[in-house]
Amino acid sequence: MTGLRYVYAVCHPLGAPLQAQLTGVAGAPAKLLNHHGLIAVVSHVPEGDFAEEALHAHLEDLDWLTDTARAHQGVIDALTVVTTPLPLRLGTVFRDDSGVRVMMEEREADFRRTLDRLAGRVEWGVKVYAEAEPEKAAARPAAKAASGRDYLMQRRQQARATDDLWQKAEEFASRLHDTLSAFAEDARLHAPQNPALSGASGRNVLNAAYLVPREGSEEFVELVDRTKDDVPGLRVELTGPWAAYSFAGDTGAGA
Amino acid sequence: MTDRGKRMDLEPDTVERDLVKLVLTVVELLRQLMERQAGRRFDTGDLSEEQEERIGLTLMLLDDRMTELRERYGLRPEDLNLDLGPLGPLLPRE
Amino acid sequence: MTVVERREIALVDLLDRLLAGGVVIKGDITLRIADVDLVRIDLNALISSVNEQVPSPWGD
Repeated sequence: MTGLRYVYAVCHPLGAPLQAQLTGVAGAPAKLLNHHGLIAVVSHVPEGDFAEEALHAHLEDLDWLTDTARAHQGVIDALTVVTTPLPLRLGTVFRDDSGVRVMMEEREADFRRTLDRLAGRVEWGVKVYAEAEPEKAAARPAAKAASGRDYLMQRRQQARATDDLWQKAEEFASRLHDTLSAFAEDARLHAPQNPALSGASGRNVLNAAYLVPREGSEEFVELVDRTKDDVPGLRVELTGPWAAYSFAGDTGAGA
Repeated sequence: MTDRGKRMDLEPDTVERDLVKLVLTVVELLRQLMERQAGRRFDTGDLSEEQEERIGLTLMLLDDRMTELRERYGLRPEDLNLDLGPLGPLLPRE
Repeated sequence: MTVVERREIALVDLLDRLLAGGVVIKGDITLRIADVDLVRIDLNALISSVNEQVPSPWGD
């Protein structure tokens, strides 16, 4: 077979058949490659788009990246219906089937260990945003300062109010993260999101992922819901359930 | 010829505008640093009343000047920022 | 299960997971504000270039 091999995930042999005609990246069908009883979920992709240099160039094209990311997610979603997949990062590409098998051979112990850890678990994403309330958010004072000293005082007051908000936000996020980490089996912190990309308002002060047994999801969601309206100016967003994307990597200390 | 000429009259020159945007971003960074610095010294009672008045007045005038310059080039406050990638934005987004 | 508001999955959330999933961020990266004297020296020059009528507020 020509082309390179794009690997979406690794998993145990499927108990039920995978969704028929499952299409992944580059419009290519998703196939199963069995090596020593572990499955790599794979697509054949064109070298012109997925060889190293071409891939790097494409990754800087937001449209291409979006299409590819969504297609990748589509395959992972289909897998979660029949198994607990170990999702690999976007752009995990090998030369051919042999290349995939060599990788599976090298990482077999790791994969089995991680698959055990992730079995029956899902990931929930929690983000916290801090936003100065509109009435207080005026960057320019409503009343023009009468003197130089007045101006200094006004600016100082505004700066203090903003600092207070950020401090409250940090404390809230810290407490929330502690609470959720205690309930979850594991946690990961992601970098704060770029508002230009997310279009979200306010500053992202917490962007975390929590690993929770599927049966514990309802309680976890309730835990998050309870904190939602606690502090004015702070917004909590919950996403999920996700396949355990954030916990597939090498085990590092959580949070 | 006349069409192109008209369009160029109406649109600010992009190269100049980009350069101005960069320069004003740097000026804005310094202005914010100054305000923060002055604010701290104001808080600690470090300054005489006369100094407070002069610094405050300067900062206020600087702020006005910045607004003038921004508006002249059709730039909003949010436009004066640099995205440092993984380091986040240069200036806090408020 | 509690009904969680379902929106189209945000691209940013997906990219967080597909591009850097599993990476732990230790601590913040903050921009340290320059030392007072350094800032003052630079800004004296700046103020006079922005508005020549206003004398330097730092006296000396």
